[in-house]
Amino acid sequence: MRKNEDADKVVLMLGFARLSVVGMSISIAVVVALFIFMMTAILLLTGDPGDQFMGDNLKKLWVFFPGYTVSMAGSLIGAAYGALFGLIGGFLIALLWNLTHYIYIGLVVIRGLWWRMMAD
Amino acid sequence: MNSRVVQDHKKDDRIDDDLIHATVKLNTLLFALVLAFLFGLAMLALTYISLYRTPEGQYSFLNLLAVFLPGYSVSVQGAWIGMLWGAVIGAVSGVVVYRIYARSIYKQVLDFLESPEVDESEFDRVTMKISGHPLGLALGSLVAVSLVVATNLLVIRGTAGDSHNAALLSNYLPGYTVSFTGSLIGAAELFVVTYLFCLILSGTYNKVVELMKGKRS
Repeated sequence: MRKNEDADKVVLMLGFARLSVVGMSISIAVVVALFIFMMTAILLLTGDPGDQFMGDNLKKLWVFFPGYTVSMAGSLIGAAYGALFGLIGGFLIALLWNLTHYIYIGLVVIRGLWWRMMAD
Repeated sequence: MNSRVVQDHKKDDRIDDDLIHATVKLNTLLFALVLAFLFGLAMLALTYISLYRTPEGQYSFLNLLAVFLPGYSVSVQGAWIGMLWGAVIGAVSGVVVYRIYARSIYKQVLDFLESPEVDESEFDRVTMKISGHPLGLALGSLVAVSLVVATNLLVIRGTAGDSHNAALLSNYLPGYTVSFTGSLIGAAELFVVTYLFCLILSGTYNKVVELMKGKRS
């Protein structure tokens, strides 16, 4: 059975745990790639080809993903772009999360040192 | 809402509730800041890309956002207004998602305290694990509520019948229509889909973290 001081350590440890930059980049890349692939594939499999609006918005993704079309090949191209965007997004989320924590801890340490100096 | 962090679990005297609340409060603020920055930046970048890559005379689908984001359009001025909207949406999303996710932290602390072997040296360089279930509940709720609000905004405006673009969602969410009932059906389906995606995200992330930890040790 662990004691109170251990509990405080664990709370702080979990609260200030860093996000894995590699883990976040890869996991968001996987999710975004899967999302774009499924969006395209589902539309191709279940959409009504006679519907004049079918894929009307989705095909405009080529603005962000050059080469993307609403087709099976396009779904793979879209997934590749999605993975790339996901990698960047995940990298930034983890980087900024860790950075804001480092900055906060830095400020707390500086403030502590300042007050100690003033007390002396 | 802070008290919910503790109320959801059996009280443990070893755990300082105030410390947990302070940690959750700080992380909520930091997560909101991070998402506000990223959403704002994403809106700015996407609008600029759309502005310069959409051929003249063609309609950019980002313009559809103007229905929900007053002042926004695919233009230079609209890009900056979009950035502000992105920051607001990011901040609100950050607060909602982290607050819901934080309800699992008390249990995480308890699990850690009950674990038989913990290397004290780990305290200095611990890497966060993501719990898929609370993340799924948090993100799922957020997107489901967003869909209900967005759809009913169209209904209240009286443009539900003309909302062909919104109606296209029925390709992905069977039963969804631009109506109150349709929005509830769509929201339930969207919640399930988002929840599953969150499980994939957390599973992949935790696996990568495990692999990297194994490599290091």
